[in-house]
Amino acid sequence: MLEIDHLVAGYGGVAVLHDISATIGAGEIVGLLGANNAGKTTLINALSGMVKPMSGRIRFQGEDISQMTPQARVEAGIVQVPEGRLVFPDMSIRENLLLGGINARARKSRPQQMDKVLGLFPRLKERLAQNAGSLSGGEQQMLAIGRGLMAEARVLMLDEPSLGLSPLFVQYIFEIIDRLHAEGLTILLVEQNLNLTLRHARRCYVLERGQVAVEGEADLVRNDPRTRSAYLGL
Amino acid sequence: MREEFYNTLRSPVWWGVLALAAMVPFVLPSYYVHILTLSLVYVALASSWNIVGGMAGQISLAHSLFIGTGAMLSTALLLKLGVNMWLGLLISAAISGALGALIAWIDFRFQLGHLSFVLITLAFAEMGSIVVEGSEFLGGASGLLLPKDTGNFLAFQFGGGSGAFWMMLALAAICVLVSVAILNAPLGYYLRTIRDNEKAAQAIGVDILRYKITAMVISAVLASVVGTAYARYLTFADPYLLVSPVITIEIVLFATVGGLGRAYGPALGALLLVPLGEVLRGKLGSTLPGLHYFIYGIVVIAVILITPRGLLPLFERLWARVRPATRIS
Amino acid sequence: MTELYQALAQGLLIGSTYGLLALGMGLVYGVSGVVNFSHGDFISLGMFMCLALYSAFSLDPYVSVIITVPVMTAIGALVYLYLIRPMVGHQFLMVVQLTLGLSLVLQNGILMVFGGQPARTPSMVESKLFILGDVVLRVPHIIAFAISFVLAIGLYIMLRSTDFGRSIRAVHQNAHAAALMGIDVGRVQVLTFALGIGILALAAALLLPGTPIQPTQGLRYTVITLLVVVLGGMTNFVGIMLGGLIIGIAEAFGTIYLDGPLGLLMPYIIFVAIMLFRPQGLTWRSQR
Repeated sequence: MLEIDHLVAGYGGVAVLHDISATIGAGEIVGLLGANNAGKTTLINALSGMVKPMSGRIRFQGEDISQMTPQARVEAGIVQVPEGRLVFPDMSIRENLLLGGINARARKSRPQQMDKVLGLFPRLKERLAQNAGSLSGGEQQMLAIGRGLMAEARVLMLDEPSLGLSPLFVQYIFEIIDRLHAEGLTILLVEQNLNLTLRHARRCYVLERGQVAVEGEADLVRNDPRTRSAYLGL
Repeated sequence: MREEFYNTLRSPVWWGVLALAAMVPFVLPSYYVHILTLSLVYVALASSWNIVGGMAGQISLAHSLFIGTGAMLSTALLLKLGVNMWLGLLISAAISGALGALIAWIDFRFQLGHLSFVLITLAFAEMGSIVVEGSEFLGGASGLLLPKDTGNFLAFQFGGGSGAFWMMLALAAICVLVSVAILNAPLGYYLRTIRDNEKAAQAIGVDILRYKITAMVISAVLASVVGTAYARYLTFADPYLLVSPVITIEIVLFATVGGLGRAYGPALGALLLVPLGEVLRGKLGSTLPGLHYFIYGIVVIAVILITPRGLLPLFERLWARVRPATRIS
Repeated sequence: MTELYQALAQGLLIGSTYGLLALGMGLVYGVSGVVNFSHGDFISLGMFMCLALYSAFSLDPYVSVIITVPVMTAIGALVYLYLIRPMVGHQFLMVVQLTLGLSLVLQNGILMVFGGQPARTPSMVESKLFILGDVVLRVPHIIAFAISFVLAIGLYIMLRSTDFGRSIRAVHQNAHAAALMGIDVGRVQVLTFALGIGILALAAALLLPGTPIQPTQGLRYTVITLLVVVLGGMTNFVGIMLGGLIIGIAEAFGTIYLDGPLGLLMPYIIFVAIMLFRPQGLTWRSQR
C-alpha cells in the first residue's frame, strides 16, 4: 500500500535519512523501531509531506506521492498521529475531532465518523465540551488517535503513542491499536519501546542513524543481534 | 581587536575621501551642496541609529525623541532663555543620553522582547511629538524660527552654505568613525552577541544592561547633536519634521537599504536615497508631493525582498566577483 | 456627572471600532506572527477610497463599503502573497521594516493622488445627533458602535463554529499539527491577512463621517491599533475588544477632563504602564 524507495531526506540540505527502502502492505501493522535520533520521526514526516525528499520516491497505492503537499496526502488517507499528541489545547474535544476530519474527503461524513470515534473512546464522549489542554496525557493520546481516525485514514501512522503514559494507559491504547488493525486499518507504529512494538506489530524495521539496520518478521527482529546494537548505538 | 579602527584612522583612503568631500562646496553649485548637506545629515542620523538598531538588533523607533530634543530644546533654550547654542547642544545631548539610558533600562528591567521594544519605543515617540506640539516653551505645533546664520562660530553659526556643509561632513564622519570604533571594540562584539542570542549572551555572563545602556546613550547623544545642527541648518526647528516618528522610519529604512549592523551600510543607504529623494522633490515636489517618500518605500521593499541584508553586502559580493585577485581580507 | 456619562458613552462608542480595527491585526499576528506597521495606512486607504467614490458617484460611505471591502480584501491577499510571505520565517524584524516601507508607499501614494489638504466625506447621517438625557451622541458613532459589535460577534461565531474559523485557531495554536490535519497553513495565512484588511475597509467607513482625513494620519491609527492589540494580549478575541473599549474610554476621558497634551497622552500612558506591568496583556489565562 505504501512503498518507500531509496528515500533520502533531511533538513536544510543535510540528509537525516540515507537511502531508506520499506513497504507497508494493505491491512498490515508494521513497527518502526530505533533509538533516539535514528530518524523515525523524520521518516514519518517525510511520509506526511512535512519533510521534502532529496531523492528517492514514496508511492501510495501505486501512485508516486513524493511531491504531493501534506494536505493532499491527508486527503489521500495518509494520516499521522504526531509525537507528543499535539492536540489543540484551547479547543474543545469536539472541535479537535472536527478539525481531524477537515480534509475534503472526510468532511462530508464527519457526524458518522464522530459517532464511531466516540464509541471507541467513551471517555472522550463524556467531556466533549472540555478543552483539550485540560486532559490527562492518556486522554490526549485518545483524542489524537480519534482525530486521526476522523480523517478517515487509510494508513494511520502513530508516532510514539506510548510516550509518557502510565502502564495502564499504554495497555489501553495498544488494545485500541490492535482493534483498529483487526478492523482492517493499515498501521505504521513508530516506537522506541522495543518489546511493546514487537508484541503488536507483525513486521518491523529497525532504523539506525538514518538507515534500515534490520527488517523482517517480529520474531526475527527480536532475535537479531543487530537490533540490540542498533539500540545501544554500538 | 582595535587594530582595524587604527587602520581606518591611519588610512590615506579615508582621509583622502574626506578631503575630496570637503572640496565639494568649491566645485558644485549651491543647490547640490544643499542636497549633499542633507544627505550628510541622514548619513549621521542613520549611522547613529545603527548602533542600537543594527549592531544590537534592537529596532528602536524612539530616535525622533533624541533628534527632537537636540533640535527643539537647544533652540528653545536660545530663544526663550538666551542660552548659547553650544551650551544648549550639550544640555540637549545630556538629556537625550539620559532618555536613552532610561529606555534601555526599561527594556532590560521589564525584559521586553523584540516586538514589545518596537512598540514601546514607538509609543514613546508618539508621546514625545504630542508633548512638543502641546508645549509652548518648545514652540508648540508651529515650531521655532532661529535667528539668521551670520557665521558667528561662537554662537553655533556656520555661515550657511559651505560652512554648514563642512559642519555636517564633520558630524557624519564622526558618526561613521564611532561606528567603526564600536564594531572593532569589545562593545561591538558584545552588541552582536546580544543581537544574535540575548539569552545565550546573558548565560555566558555578558553584562547586557551595561552594553545596552552604553549603546543607547552613544546613539542618543550623537542623534541629539545632529538634531541641533540640523535645526540650525534649516534655521527652523520644525516639530513635524524633527519630532515626528516618520523621521525615525526614514532613518531605519536608509539603514536597512544600506546594510544593518555594518559601519558603512547606513551611510551608503542615505547617500543613495536622500539625493534621489531630494532631486525628485525639487523636480516634482509641487505637482507630486510625497513622491520621494513613495520611492523610498518602493526601494526599501525591493531591497528587503531581493537582498535582505542590504546593498552593502550585495556590492561587496559584486566587487569580489569583479576583482577576486586583489581582494584583501 | 454629565461629563462623566458623556465621556463614558463617547469612549465606548469609539472604542468598539478601535476593537474592530485591532481584531484584524490580532488574527494576523496569531496565524503568521506578522505585525503589520502599515495597518493604519490601510485604514487611510479605505477612507480615501470612500472619498473617491463620493467625489465620482456621490456614494455615501456606508454604501461604498460594497466596493471597498472586496477591493481591499483583494489588495490584502496580494500584499501577503507577494510581499510578506517571502519574508515569513526569515526574520521577524525584517517584516517590521518591510511594512514600514509599505506604510511610506501607501501614505505617499494617497498624498500624490489626493493632495495633503484635510478632506471630508459627507454622509447623510453626518450631523445628526442623538440626545439621551444630558448626553449628546453623534449618530455616526452609534452606527459605528452597533456595526462593530455585530461584526465582532459575527467574527467570534465564525471562529467558533465554521471550518475556516477553526482552521484559523488551529494554525494559531499549533501550525505543525494543523498541517497534519490537512489544513493548508499558507492558504489560511493569506486569507486571514486578506480578511484583516477587508475588515479595515469596513472600519474605515464607520470612522469616516464627520472626521476630516489626511494622508499622514495612518501612523497614528497604526499606533492606536497596536495599543489595543497589545492590551488585549495579542491574540485574545475578548481581550482585544475589551482593550479597544479601554483605549476609547481613556481617550475620551483624556480629552474631556484633561487639558491639551496630557489628555492626548492618556492612552499612551495607560499602554506603557500595562506593557511594563502586565506584558501578557489584560487577559488572565495565558493563551498559546
